[in-house]
This record gives sequence, structure tokens and C-alpha cells, in this order.
Amino acid sequence: MTLSSLKIGLVGAGGISNSHLPHLLTLGADVYVFSDAGAADLVARHGGTVVDTLDELLAIVDYVDVATPTFTHYAVAKRALEAGKDVISEKPLARTDEEAAELVQLAERLGRRLYPAHVVRFFPEYVRLHEAVQSGLLGDLAVLRFSRSGAFPTRTPWFADRALSGGIIMDQMIHDIDIARWVAGEVVRVSAVSNRAGTAAAPVEAAHVLLTHASGAISHVAGIWGPAHLPFTTEYSVTGTLGSLEHSSVAERNYTAHLLEAAEQGGLLPDVDPAENPYFAELREFTEAFGGGPEPRVSVVDGAEAVRLANAALLSLETGQPVELVSRVDASAEAEEKRAL
Amino acid sequence: MNTASRPLKVAVMSFAHTHARGYVELLLQNRSVSVLTSDPGIHSPAETRGRTLADELGVDYVDTYHELLAWQPDAVIVTSENAHHREHVELAARAGAHILCEKPLATTLADGEAMLAATQAAGVILMVAFPVRFASTFLHLKADYDAGALGDVFSVRGSNNGKLPSAREWFTDPALSGGGALVDHVVHIADLLEALMHAAPLSVTAVANQKLYADRAKAETAGLVSISYDNGVIAAIDCSWSRAETAPTWGGVRLSVAGTRGTVDVDFFGPRVHGLDSASGVPLELPYGPDFDAALLGTFLEAVGTGVQPQPDGAVGLRTLKIVLAAQESVATGRTVQIVEG
Repeated sequence: MTLSSLKIGLVGAGGISNSHLPHLLTLGADVYVFSDAGAADLVARHGGTVVDTLDELLAIVDYVDVATPTFTHYAVAKRALEAGKDVISEKPLARTDEEAAELVQLAERLGRRLYPAHVVRFFPEYVRLHEAVQSGLLGDLAVLRFSRSGAFPTRTPWFADRALSGGIIMDQMIHDIDIARWVAGEVVRVSAVSNRAGTAAAPVEAAHVLLTHASGAISHVAGIWGPAHLPFTTEYSVTGTLGSLEHSSVAERNYTAHLLEAAEQGGLLPDVDPAENPYFAELREFTEAFGGGPEPRVSVVDGAEAVRLANAALLSLETGQPVELVSRVDASAEAEEKRAL
Repeated sequence: MNTASRPLKVAVMSFAHTHARGYVELLLQNRSVSVLTSDPGIHSPAETRGRTLADELGVDYVDTYHELLAWQPDAVIVTSENAHHREHVELAARAGAHILCEKPLATTLADGEAMLAATQAAGVILMVAFPVRFASTFLHLKADYDAGALGDVFSVRGSNNGKLPSAREWFTDPALSGGGALVDHVVHIADLLEALMHAAPLSVTAVANQKLYADRAKAETAGLVSISYDNGVIAAIDCSWSRAETAPTWGGVRLSVAGTRGTVDVDFFGPRVHGLDSASGVPLELPYGPDFDAALLGTFLEAVGTGVQPQPDGAVGLRTLKIVLAAQESVATGRTVQIVEG
């Protein structure tokens, strides 16, 4: 199918919109951008059309891409769903479990599609891992390690406010929490330790999250929001009864330069190969699904479950103890029950 | 005690630990040391121990610890099963010998405390064999840390992964080893953090399973541990025996340290020559680099000469043991466990 006739509304003009907007345009969509701030600059950089209100945007477009700060995902996605739109939501799907669960039910009830943008599922090294595990190459998984490091996002203040962003666990580590669940299955226990240091102007934050999967496999997810010069790096190491796989973004670089004019260091987003851009692959898969294509590799239930695991980790920080998770209530069954009542 | 006029007398108690062979080989190369060994008991015919191993190594041997200690050694290296460390350290201390004890210090807190008390009462050195802190890469990290190059350290990741120990049956018998991978591998990283930060661990959370080597293991083979320290640092350790038996090398130790001014990643056993076996397609890995055990042993022997207690001492052994015991309790209870100082 072609997207040339499709109109997509991009809500928000922050960091990730600079990634999403050019990809949506490349996909052939007409993109309308609404944001409280920065929409004109964003459109001037990449293209598209600025609209002045969310209502105006919803009146024009067929689909909505929510790329606003975490704490507003729920309200924007809800309005878009209620306006009859299929929706892409930047991760996390919502800030709280209740909001995420409500969005799952709302999408189900209204028969709309809602896709959480867990882009790491589109990074080829994680796709390889998932395929290998699914194919049985590694056998029964025993122990998994995931790590993600980059600069503390100081560009806008809301990241530093745990109430708004959920801190490093909800914002950054939710990627690997989702991958751990994607690869090793449902999680039954979560514990976490976290630390904030540095200064108000130059903060750093770290956390370690331990997951126990229903299968008995155990995962460690590590996150660093470090000093501004820290490059973005990722690692994983996964061992099962039949084999192991590990990956380090530093070790697998295919372009090494030591130039007099050094490129800017420090990273909020990983380096990607432009010929196989995961952000593009993600938006292509979502928009193709909107047009009747196959269901994407990540569902709204996956998004809500990632939020639930991240919030369990945040609860563990508060209580100082591991959090046992009651098994996930199947979203559609719960929706069914609500309709019956 | 020794004088320059005669060689240092060093006794090796037990060949239970595979490191005994390495220590004996290093000691035999040292012209200022004379060595006597003993490894009494009935050993499995599958394992080269006792007089057979001593003959193979070309080292002097006696049949009993009584004879070994009657030789009046200046120093004793205890390389017995973990659960026997206390008994042998107490014997050596009573004989007035300085002691290098294989890690972990002990398998119970009571044993560890008794060992510290015995060596203090006898006025002898107790050093615990944590070799990785003697790596030049660790000294580099320590220098950067002490110079403030890392800024305020806020998070650490460590991994110590290896194969299921197979050269000696007792390693996987919890009655003798004290447990599985948690006992074997957490202490190395914990010791590095001791040496780096001198901070006290406050609480420990751990998860474990027995999926790898399930047919042979009698305790956990995979373990992940998170630790909060009193300086605010959070650390996580992967201690799993997650290296396949078919792997070209034993495994390794890695440490990633994050501070407000940057990060340092160390792969202590990383440098190696890579290649391929043409017939099988199996990777060839030929590790190289200095022997950390030699630096450890050199530090111990020097301390025996001066009588000055070296690091890591028994107190370090005890604090790292407390982390292991807390991790085991956390696995058993599913709870985060507080560590009581004292």
C-alpha cells in the first residue's frame, strides 16, 4: 500500500520527534505537527505542516503519533483514540499502571490500534537475539544481562523529575525490561536499586533491576544516565542450556575514526546504520499495520506490561524489597468482563 | 622467624583447591623459599592429589599436617575445601605461621570470625587470596579513582563468569564448598569494590537458578546480585557459571565503573589472540598477560618477611563473605537482606 493519501498527526516536537518526523515523511505520509512549543522549528527542519491545536489536528488526520513527554502520553493517546484514530505512542505507553491499563481497554473497546514505540525491538542485534531464542538455538534460558548507558537527558527538565518521567527505569531501562520479557518471557518478581548523584546542573542517575521470569530465568538490567560526554552504548549477554549470545555496541563498531576534528561525543540515542534505521523500520511496521498489514512485533499489552514492570521496580526502590507480580490479567478477558457488567 | 641467612619456609596445606598447583609452581621458582606440602586423606582416584601430585610437581611432601607444621613453617598457604578453611587456619595460627587463605574466607560467619580471632590471638598475618586486585588494570583504575578522574562513582557492574568447576568434585558439593556460583564468584568482584572504594555494603538482593549444568550441579549455577553501599554506590554482580564446558577459555572477570566524570570498563582477563581451528571451525582463543597469582603471592611473601599485615586481610574476607551469605539468604527468602556491621 502507499501512504501518500494518509495523514498522520505528530503530537510533540521534542527530541524523538526529530527522529519520527523525517521517517514519516519518507514513508510518504502527510504529517501535521501539533506541539505546545517547537512545532514551527521542527517543521522548518524536516517538513510537514504545523497545526495550532490538538482538536484541529484530530480533525485532519487519520493516525496519531504521540511523541510528547511521558506524563502526557495517556491524555493525548486517550483523546486520539476517542476521536477514532489509530495511535502510535512513544514509550512508555503511560506513566502509571492504571493509565496504561485504561488505554489497553479503551483501544480494545473502540476497536482502534494502539502501538507502543519500543524501538529496541527493531534494532537488528536484538532481533537476532529474539530470533535465536525463539528458534531454540540457546535452549532453556538461564541468565540474561542487559546494559544501556548514555548521557543524562538535561535538554528539558521533566526527565529529571521521577514523578513525571519515572526516572531512568521508566524512561531508559524500560527498553531492556521490555526486551528481557520479549526474549525470556513473563516476569514474576522485580527488585531494583537506584542512585542519583552529581549536581542539579549536571546530574547522573543509575539503576540495577533484577527480574525473575516465570520460566525461572533471571535477568539483570543496568542503566546509566551519565555525564554529558558519555557515548550511548548498549550490551547484552544471554546464556541458555544450549548456548550463549552476547553483544556490545562498542565492540561491534564498523567505522572507527581518529580524526583531528573529532566528532561530537555524548549520546541520548544510539548510533544506527542509516541503511537499516530501526526508527524507520518501526514506523513503517506500525503504519503498514494501520493500512491493513500484519500486526507489529510489539502490542499494546506489551507496552502496558513494560510499564507495569517498570513501576514494580520503582515500588521496589520505595519499599527496599523485591516486588512479587500477580500474573497479568489478560487484557481482552478483562475488557470482556467489563462489557458483561 | 626467618632471617636473610635461610630461605623462607612455606607450607601448603591441602591440594583440594586447584590453585594449590599454581602456588607450588610459583614457590618452586623462588630461590629464597623452601616448600613443603601435605594433602592427607583418601582422594578420589579421578583426581590427582596427595603424594602423586607432589611427585608430579617435584615438591617435598609429608603425609600429615602434624608433620607439616612440625617443620615450623614461616608461612602456610591454605588451599583446602572452603568448609575446612577454619580448621586449617586455626592449626596454622597455633603453629605461629603467617597465613594466606584461599577465597572465600569461610562458608559461615562463625567460621570466618573464629579465623580472625585465632590469627589475631596468635599475632600472625591472615591474607585472603583475591588475586584480581593485583592486576595492573585494577591498579590503573584505582589510580584514576583516587585521583578523582571518575568524579563521584555512583554505579558499578561486575561479572565473574566461568565454567562449572570440574577438576575437583568438592567445588559443587555445598557441604564442602558452601554453595554454588554465589560462593565461588561473588567475592572476587566484592573484593575489587572493597579495594576501590573502602565502602561498607548495606543491603543485598540476589536471584539464582540451577538451569545450567543442571545434571551435575548440587547448588545454584547462575546468580545475579545487587548491592547498596554506604557511600551511595549501587553495584550488580553476575557470578554465574555460564561459560559452556566446551568454551575455549575458562571465563573472565569484568568491571564497569560509572562516575560523574566518566566511566571505566575493565576486562581483567580480556587480552587474547583470536583464531580458528581449521579442522573443526572452533574458535581459538589464546589469552595472555601477567599472572595475578604471582603478584598476590609476592605480596604475601614480602609481608611474611616484614611482619606487616598486607591487604586483602581477614576483615576483607569477612566482609565479602557477609555479602555472599546475605545473597544466599536473599535467594532463599526472596527478600532484600540488610548487612549488619560488626
